[in-house]
Amino acid sequence: MPPKRMTANPVKPSRYRPGKALAEEHSSDSESGEEEDDETLKRIPEPSRTTAAPPKAASFPSSTISTNLKKVDLNERRKEAAAKEVARLEQEAQAKAREEEGFETESSAASTKSDSGSTESEAESEEESSSEDETPQPKLLRPVFLKKGQRQTSIAAANAKSEVEAYAEAEARRKEKMDALVQEQLEKDAAAKAAGKKAWDDDDEGLAEEIDDTDGIDAEAERAAWRLRELKRVKREREAIELAEKELEEVERRKNLTPAEREAEDREYIEKQKAEREGRGQMGFMQKYHHRGAFFQDDDVAQELAKRDIVGARFVDDPMNRDTLPQYMQIRDMTKLGKKGGTKYRDLKSEDTGRWGELGDRRGPRESGYGVDERFRPDRDRERTGANAGPLGERKRDWDTPGGQQDMRESKRQKT
Amino acid sequence: MAHQADSKRMLDDRGYSGRTLHGGNPAALLEKAVLDRIVESYYWKEQCFGLNEATLCDRAAELTCIGGTFGVAQKPTPFLCLLLKLLQLVPERDVVLCYLRQPDFKYLTALAAFYVRLAWEPKDVYATLEPLLADYRKLRRRTREAFAMGYVDQFVDDLLTKERVCATSLQKLPRRRDLEDLDVLEPRVSPLGEEIDEIDEDVSPAEED
Repeated sequence: MPPKRMTANPVKPSRYRPGKALAEEHSSDSESGEEEDDETLKRIPEPSRTTAAPPKAASFPSSTISTNLKKVDLNERRKEAAAKEVARLEQEAQAKAREEEGFETESSAASTKSDSGSTESEAESEEESSSEDETPQPKLLRPVFLKKGQRQTSIAAANAKSEVEAYAEAEARRKEKMDALVQEQLEKDAAAKAAGKKAWDDDDEGLAEEIDDTDGIDAEAERAAWRLRELKRVKREREAIELAEKELEEVERRKNLTPAEREAEDREYIEKQKAEREGRGQMGFMQKYHHRGAFFQDDDVAQELAKRDIVGARFVDDPMNRDTLPQYMQIRDMTKLGKKGGTKYRDLKSEDTGRWGELGDRRGPRESGYGVDERFRPDRDRERTGANAGPLGERKRDWDTPGGQQDMRESKRQKT
Repeated sequence: MAHQADSKRMLDDRGYSGRTLHGGNPAALLEKAVLDRIVESYYWKEQCFGLNEATLCDRAAELTCIGGTFGVAQKPTPFLCLLLKLLQLVPERDVVLCYLRQPDFKYLTALAAFYVRLAWEPKDVYATLEPLLADYRKLRRRTREAFAMGYVDQFVDDLLTKERVCATSLQKLPRRRDLEDLDVLEPRVSPLGEEIDEIDEDVSPAEED
């Protein structure tokens, strides 16, 4: 028998917890489980129960006893059975001991043992009691020597199976039950599948059922729809044929014209195209260019969209002339305004520091006299040099008179 | 060569020595991405293992929709998985015709039509698929997000005209006109033949006026 707990640790004594019943010893739980399964085949083998009532040695459920005893007519039977009762009691005690140790006595064997219904009922009730006692404690009784006549070796040997065999039997039975259950489940699944309830691996059953693909609901409507489709197909084919024929015609016609006429036609066509293009708006200065893309060219919707005039479209805040904007806003892609990068380099021309394309008379020596400040010109070119360069004031006439100078000094003094 | 139950031989192109379609490995008719999706799907692994031409009919009888891949993860439909199985098996011509012409399972018919379009020569394709243009049974189509309604004749028409059907790129089929010009095929007579003639008669007197 496999251990109840899969650990090698010693079993700790169970603690007392207020309000909970004490867990009893469980060593014979599996036995009671087997017997229960034997009795009630339909029940799933229950896990071993932790709550156990202490077994009573001679506790018979009153209901079975009373019904069975009612069947039996004691007045008749008592005389017959009186002599055998002593021997039988001994046997019953032994049988009970064996049961409590885990031996099973089959009800058929028990019935062969006993002729009368009372012992049958007692045996049954014993079995029932032992099965209804959830944990009969194993009472190892002292082996009692029976005389040969009292022994029931053949039947007992047949009954007494070793513990291992009993367990194996119980296992086999349990397995059968599990198989039966699994079989039921499989059959249910197959039935559900056959009924079309569950498509394979599909969670979208509800969505799928919206589209009903049963035929023959409305035969006339279906036929009419098909006729429409067929007509469309025929029409499509015919149009394709007609298009091909027209092209061939066109090619033929052009061959028959003279070259001059061909040129005239081509010019007409080109002018027509130009007129179309002029109808559209122009690209503004530094306007962002959007390419239409290379895919979805077959789509009719895409063709409609391709006819739009994106380039010429203007929106409310669109600056017609970007020169009016400050320089950091003059960018092609306005979405990049204010973002990191793109702040320095604008275009080649504006970044160039050289005098690109300036042409003039280039003669080396003349360079020194022109284009510089007046003060740095060479003296050769001046009329007056140094301090005389600027305008001189008027000379005073009364330098020679002695008083004149004093007067000048005084006059100067008076001024101060 | 005996049919291998698993698909290892078919998927490994290096030493392929089975039956060829269009001069190569039949699995090359599907794109690699789609092949990977199919081979990794549960339906292929569980239901399509070790099928032969007969047991494939059982699977096809359970089909409820046609379609290519769906969903974000490009999950293949059972229809597509069975198509790959057909490509692996490369059944005989009679078997395929039998699949096509049996009247009970329309999805099996659709599957066979798809196989014919992929595997056979253009002349045979036109000859075999055009009778199906008169079959107006309904089919449930699985698109990438939801389901849609389709018909057998619409499906066959797509097979004959479109370039991409059910997550597969179809090989280019020469136009019917070209084959007619080469005298390989007769011009198609529509099942609505008489009605069209009547319509033409109605139209042309009106045009004359």
